[in-house]
Amino acid sequence: MVSVLVLSCKTEEKKEDNKKDQELTVYTHRHYESDQELFKEFEKESGISLNIVNASADELIQKMSLEGEESPADVLITVDAGRLYRAKSKDLLQAFDSPMIDSIVPSHLRDEDQQWVSLTKRARVIAYAKDRVDSTQLSTYDNLTSEEWSDKILVRSSSNIYNQSLLASIIANQGKEFAEDWAQGVVDNMARSPKGNDRDQVKAVANNEGDLAIVNTYYIGKLLNSKDEDEVKAGKSVTIFFPNQETTGTHVNVSGIGVAKHAPNKENAIKFIEFLLQEKAQNIFAGSNYEYPVNPNVEPADILKSWGDFKEDELSLNELGKNNKDAVIIFDKVGWK
Amino acid sequence: MNLRTKFFKFKRDLNRWSLLLLLILAIVSIPILTIGLKLFNGPGESWEHIVDHVLYDYLRNSVYLALMCSLIVIFFGVSSAWLVSRFEFPFRKQLEWLLILPLSVPAYIMAYAYAGIFGYYGLFQTMSARLGFENISLDVMNIYGLSFVLSMSLFPYVYVSSRTFFLAQATNLLEASRMLGISELKSFFKLILPLARPAIIAGLVLVLMEVLNDYGAASYYGVSTFTTGIFRSWFSLGEPETAIYLSAILLAIVFGLILLEKWQRRHLKFSSAKSSKQNYNSRVLPSKTNQVLFSSFCFIPVFLGFILPVIQLLIWTEQTFSKVWNTDFIMISIESFGIAFITSCVTVFTALLLLFFTRWNKLGLLKSSSKLGILGYAIPGVIIAIGVLIPSLTLDKWLIQNNITSKLILNATLTALIYAYVVRFLAVAYQPLESSSLKIDRSLSDSSKVLGEGNFKTFFKIEFPLIRAGLLSAFILVFIDILKELPLTLIMKPYNVNTLAVKSYEYASDEMVSSAALPSLLIILTALIPAIFLNKLLLKNASNS
Repeated sequence: MVSVLVLSCKTEEKKEDNKKDQELTVYTHRHYESDQELFKEFEKESGISLNIVNASADELIQKMSLEGEESPADVLITVDAGRLYRAKSKDLLQAFDSPMIDSIVPSHLRDEDQQWVSLTKRARVIAYAKDRVDSTQLSTYDNLTSEEWSDKILVRSSSNIYNQSLLASIIANQGKEFAEDWAQGVVDNMARSPKGNDRDQVKAVANNEGDLAIVNTYYIGKLLNSKDEDEVKAGKSVTIFFPNQETTGTHVNVSGIGVAKHAPNKENAIKFIEFLLQEKAQNIFAGSNYEYPVNPNVEPADILKSWGDFKEDELSLNELGKNNKDAVIIFDKVGWK
Repeated sequence: MNLRTKFFKFKRDLNRWSLLLLLILAIVSIPILTIGLKLFNGPGESWEHIVDHVLYDYLRNSVYLALMCSLIVIFFGVSSAWLVSRFEFPFRKQLEWLLILPLSVPAYIMAYAYAGIFGYYGLFQTMSARLGFENISLDVMNIYGLSFVLSMSLFPYVYVSSRTFFLAQATNLLEASRMLGISELKSFFKLILPLARPAIIAGLVLVLMEVLNDYGAASYYGVSTFTTGIFRSWFSLGEPETAIYLSAILLAIVFGLILLEKWQRRHLKFSSAKSSKQNYNSRVLPSKTNQVLFSSFCFIPVFLGFILPVIQLLIWTEQTFSKVWNTDFIMISIESFGIAFITSCVTVFTALLLLFFTRWNKLGLLKSSSKLGILGYAIPGVIIAIGVLIPSLTLDKWLIQNNITSKLILNATLTALIYAYVVRFLAVAYQPLESSSLKIDRSLSDSSKVLGEGNFKTFFKIEFPLIRAGLLSAFILVFIDILKELPLTLIMKPYNVNTLAVKSYEYASDEMVSSAALPSLLIILTALIPAIFLNKLLLKNASNS
């Protein structure tokens, strides 16, 4: 009975909320703790109350296109540029104008039509076993297919968007055929059939199941700061290597935000985006989630700084979206689970 | 038969129950039909690619998984249900309800827990190192591990359905068989098992549907199944059309299974002997050795399906409690409980209507298609969500266009969420109800009707009291399922309502499995209360009837 009451109160509350103008509906794929903190902070600062819908970007995109003109969504946040491209190409986003955003975010991290903007960056790197591999043995992503690494590579499933975007960048840079050979080469060198998440790949290196793990940078930061001693141990057993420094640069993906085409509260949406790009919020992204901030005035976390600067692949992020489907099809063909 | 007689037959058999049944069926199958209509749009452009490269893998893995899980759940589910219903042994009373508990652990959480236990520096490695075995490891993250994990979290479906049957089953048959000098073991295999078949299969159908639409555990363990394929073609390839095609194949398989099950019991009337009265005090007291044996045997699935994963969750909770815990959790637990409670009531009620309207209706065609209503369970939650979103949004938009309302009134409300749950979980409520109603001696209701009582009165006076046990197991199963439900909740839930499953997902998808442990434990705790309470009612009922 108590719970029934609570639920009915909730619905009442919602009705009142709707009367107020000051609200903003956020469709987000980001599920990090740091975000909760940021959302609360924004509500406090701006007096705008947030409605959060948290699901995977694809589900949210599907939901937005079904809702059409009536969609309550104001902004869409994804953890990958390819999905923003997909939302844009489905005509779910609209251009927005903010001199402040333009001045903060470098142009290659913004959509050319101003429909979305990056919030944070993450690099997909190689984490190698400190005790078994020397950094001189490593050079490029292509090098991962050499015989030397036979039975040594650990990487998660190709259903994962980070892998898809990595392959999409290879397609964009070096062509489809090359990309297929590369994917085949990596599959041939895998230490085990792909399973688990990025953290599990690092743990598998620590457990001597393989020598090289392909992972996103912020997971290493999280492992090293974990409450679980064994995770810390696993994090310490590897060193980060930024591939392709002599060539196109390390593959970088972004988490980004776009304004929904039918946003009922566009002004609030822009306020929200501006808030997320300012130093305070960017510091939280960097500090507690170990992502690279897009605001140049904000320093990355100390761990990230200790890995040094690196050359980023400055390929247009929209390319990741354009080549996403080809990437998935190649993965299927070469049997990358 | 010519058209004329056909028409007269139709007219003769059509009654108001047929119309009501049609209404219920229409309501619950709108989402399924919506998805079905989408099939006419054709598959996406990658369909050929899927058929060429991955379809065979999906099919083989799914079939393999279904077979292995069936064997394991029948072995543990039926044997433990029989032991606790038939024999007296130490801790029997505790084991009776402990055996239901694995259901409260969401399969994907159990998958994470087992990966943790057998993973790098997990419980297994630490323990074996302490015993002097360095560096041994057991890899559970493959199809065998997946079958094991899924079976351990799902066998209680078979346990509950077969136990409900055993409790209400006439013992006189068994007594007669024993008196004729047939051994206990032989009586079980020759007599009880064949009689219990519909109940066992009812539980098994639920398990198989759940196995086929598991996504979380399969994708984490890197096994490509039909459902991971559905997600992949929708999300990775961006082709909902292709995903819907794959779902349709999956649905056809499940529907085939259901028809097969109906066909295998086509000639059998499973109503038990007249005075179906089991006094549960009449349990047999086996020898001391057997008592210990039975206790330990029943303890194995409890240990593997509940205690071990919960230990792992407790270890993780200990590490992360200070970071994760806040008072919101109490609120969220209450909300989860409330949603599950309301929805279970609605679902069980709908299942009851479906079952009895089908029975009272005389149209053959409708009777055989009533099973369409429970197909929702085999469809992945995300697809159901789409099936619900499309019609509810259409209605919403229509209302706005005609100036009846000014904004979306169904989208992201509890009503839409509960409706989606009902569509999804109707099967869970329907199966135990059906199997317990099959046991009712038809002559009882027939005589009541001959004596001039209507369907309703007969139902309340005769049938309802007899299927109370089935009602309760239906309720508890749906309740627990809703507490655990994830993908559908994520898309359909109102903004300001949160559930524990959503909370644990947020952590798990952020690769913070250890932080997900606390909300997972709360799901388990919330599910414990009704599990224990309803187990008591189940027993009381069996002894009264």
